[in-house]
Amino acid sequence: MPGEIISGMETMDSKTNIWKAAGLLARLAVGGVFIYAGTIKLLAPAEEFAYAIETYKVTGPQLSLWAAYVMPWLELYAGLLLVAGIFTRFNAALCGALLLFFEALLAQAWLRGLPVTSCGCFGSGGSNSLPVEFLQNLVFLALAYLAYRFGRLFSADSKAD
Amino acid sequence: MFFKKEKITPCMGYTKIMRDNVRLAALAGAVMFLATIAVLLARQLALVPSRPAPGFRTFGPPDAVVKIEEYSDYACGACRGAAGKLEEMLKIYPGGIRLTLKHYPLVNIHPWSLDAAAYADCAGEQGKFKAYTARLFESQEKWGRTARKPGEFEAFARELSLDWPAMQACAASPQTRQRLKLEMAEGDLKGVSATPTFFINGKRAVGPGQLLEQLRKLDKLLENRNKPAGECPEK
Repeated sequence: MPGEIISGMETMDSKTNIWKAAGLLARLAVGGVFIYAGTIKLLAPAEEFAYAIETYKVTGPQLSLWAAYVMPWLELYAGLLLVAGIFTRFNAALCGALLLFFEALLAQAWLRGLPVTSCGCFGSGGSNSLPVEFLQNLVFLALAYLAYRFGRLFSADSKAD
Repeated sequence: MFFKKEKITPCMGYTKIMRDNVRLAALAGAVMFLATIAVLLARQLALVPSRPAPGFRTFGPPDAVVKIEEYSDYACGACRGAAGKLEEMLKIYPGGIRLTLKHYPLVNIHPWSLDAAAYADCAGEQGKFKAYTARLFESQEKWGRTARKPGEFEAFARELSLDWPAMQACAASPQTRQRLKLEMAEGDLKGVSATPTFFINGKRAVGPGQLLEQLRKLDKLLENRNKPAGECPEK
């Protein structure tokens, strides 16, 4: 019956809209967190963040310092472009890759029982314990996936169509 | 996969897709450029959160109307002059000014400044920061540019009955060095390149002249603050 077909289409449409809205929210959440994390580190001495990186015992002091110079800019740019929806999929994937990389660092420190007092995630101030940070990153990883799949609503990408 | 290449229709050539991607890349460039300028400006305008200094380097009440942060070097002549002036100001306006001293040794021209800052902090931990730094300033010509490690650091410690071996251990400790390194990095981030540099309620002043000029503008504020409670303001 025509009526049934129409109501079925409406259901499909509203489902799609929910995913689109979720994608937009995920894009703003992940982008916002990256902007905040990048800015807070850029407005503090790089040496502070480098010191936090050193505690993961993966890199030496020199490489940690270089990472501390580069990473906050990368976070800020990726976050801004994700929020604005410019090359959305690329930036969502980049944020996802960075989150995976952070997860690996957190996991190895957790497994090795390293005394990491500040994870360095949001500057060098105090932070949650490593397992909590690990779980928090997992949530952001899921959000980054949502942004990758459904993040085109109100994006600069969609305006260029 | 990542860039705009989906929805290709027979009518849509690669030119359109290329044009869209170039437009998006230009937009991305503009966003990144503006963000970079914003961050660099925020640093230059010293909108950078300050690290707390140890208590012995902070003078005046926390609710003072004028908050001064000074980046200083013990081998610098202008810093010595400024120290005297600030000492006077703190006496004249005891409740109005809060001074926080930050170390910014100019290690390229003053080879012993970093050590002097470390020893000053360690004297501070033994409760004699002011007396020790007064001696450092007084004799800065003697120790400031010598080729060999100056004996003054030890002599002053002994004069003030400080525990010299403890001071040596403290000055060489990674914690002290780390604190100094971070303080210098904070100064760099705020665009400090000369000493003394002050931030008076967040506003930059370089040298004692600019400091006094800015304090003169805040005179009224300080005078009102200094008046005993209940006194009527002048008409």
